[in-house]
Amino acid sequence: MLENLFVGIADWLRSLLGGLGTPGEINEAIVMLAKLVAILVFILVNALWLVYMERKVAAYMQARIGPNRVGPKGLLQTTADIGKLISKEIVIPKKADVVVFLLAPVLIFVPTLMVFAVIPFGKNMAAIDMNIGVFYLLAIASLSTLFFWMGGWASNSKYSLIGSMRVVAQMVSYELPLVLGLLGVVMIVGSLKMSDIIAAQEHTWFIFTQPIAFLIYFIAAVAETNRTPFDLVEGESEIIAGPYTEYGGMAFAMFFLAEYANIMVICAMATIMFLGGWHAPFGLDFIPSWVWFFLKMYILIFIVMQFRWTYPRIRVDQLMGFGWKVLVPLALANIFITGIGMKIYQAIGW
Amino acid sequence: MFGKGLIKGLQITWKEFWAQKLTVQYPDEQHPVPERFHGRFILDVDKCIACSLCANACPNKVITIKKQKVGKKQFMTDYIMNIQYCLFCGLCVESCNKDALHFSQDFNMNQYFYRDLPLVLVQREAPAEPVDEEAPAAKAGDDKKAKAKPKPKAKTDKPAEPAADSEVAAGKAPDKEGQ
Repeated sequence: MLENLFVGIADWLRSLLGGLGTPGEINEAIVMLAKLVAILVFILVNALWLVYMERKVAAYMQARIGPNRVGPKGLLQTTADIGKLISKEIVIPKKADVVVFLLAPVLIFVPTLMVFAVIPFGKNMAAIDMNIGVFYLLAIASLSTLFFWMGGWASNSKYSLIGSMRVVAQMVSYELPLVLGLLGVVMIVGSLKMSDIIAAQEHTWFIFTQPIAFLIYFIAAVAETNRTPFDLVEGESEIIAGPYTEYGGMAFAMFFLAEYANIMVICAMATIMFLGGWHAPFGLDFIPSWVWFFLKMYILIFIVMQFRWTYPRIRVDQLMGFGWKVLVPLALANIFITGIGMKIYQAIGW
Repeated sequence: MFGKGLIKGLQITWKEFWAQKLTVQYPDEQHPVPERFHGRFILDVDKCIACSLCANACPNKVITIKKQKVGKKQFMTDYIMNIQYCLFCGLCVESCNKDALHFSQDFNMNQYFYRDLPLVLVQREAPAEPVDEEAPAAKAGDDKKAKAKPKPKAKTDKPAEPAADSEVAAGKAPDKEGQ
């Protein structure tokens, strides 16, 4: 019953529309629209929750209590903050490129939303099960670089410009180890389809067969989302807030929410590629598959948050050096070893 | 080993995550104040002999004492501290011979209006006649006995309001604070 909750809702909607006697294509389009709206709501609710969770985790790791005044246990804190940000004026700097300046926070959510369309949240719960899913995800996810650059350039501010240049440098150099890390998994499965990759992990998760790939992926992913220890892009203490320096009100909030949505994307991706997606461990099948997916995703998100409150920020040269001199060669070596291993297994005849 | 420090850092934050939280949510709960805390002053009016030693000891001239002579004795009518100039050094408390002036542990002395700031420890009117303490001496003469009669009258004559004020100021009625 619970297992098929969301699939059941989709089927019910489809049959309801079928009963109305409208053409099949329109029905499918409406169902698809409903799915995308559901994903949008899901992202926003989760982003709100993640901001709250981040503050709570930070407080707990610093022996504080954290937000606990607004709503029960402080749960409405983010809602109140967003309410405040909506009511604030969006100040546009004097010599800013107004169109691009305003377009950047509007578009920042687009790649994130597009990426979520292919993520399978549970058994048969991907909005679209694309046959090049992984490739699509990586291609779209790196698009957000463009919007950071747009915001930074259009602000006409030195901090924004430095910050957005760092975004481009960092994202381009960490995209490579990220992709190379995932390549090991793709080689073993022989498919870029998300459902195939998850199906291949029914017995053994790829974190056990590809531990180095997981490490490389996770480190690169943390860098991709501009989180500490790779948050040179925002670097509050040196360049104010990087590309967001000149933004205020809801424009800033959009960047902020997009950052948390991106954390969700990379953690969901890590879950799919390395932690068996929605597969239940130890045969605990009675818990629905989507609950397992969220559980794994949130454990990874917690680890990302723990990183933030544990490690100090690294320097730009350390960042570049680590990316190009450590992660990329390691990823290449991993691919090489994986290839040799696969050939050996084939020769043995497993 | 490479990365050993990173793992150690994660262990520390993980341990801290479950550790006791140190926050004291102030208006709801208060942090315990040390025993010899220099807070608001309390004056034991019955012990005070209005010698003005405390006023002389004060480096900032915070303390104002007004007294009247009632019979042979000094009767203190006002003991007001301009607490906004007080630096809580404690010299007045140390100088008190009769151990009448004390610190309390109450540090919440903020007021809504500036005129409420001075700490009024005593504000009362002097009785027309000498009071109680001289009663044993009064036994000597009959004429003095007759004089002793209006004692209770003098007490009731005392306006009730200043008494309440001094009670608030002495920290005996903290619930009336800031009103």
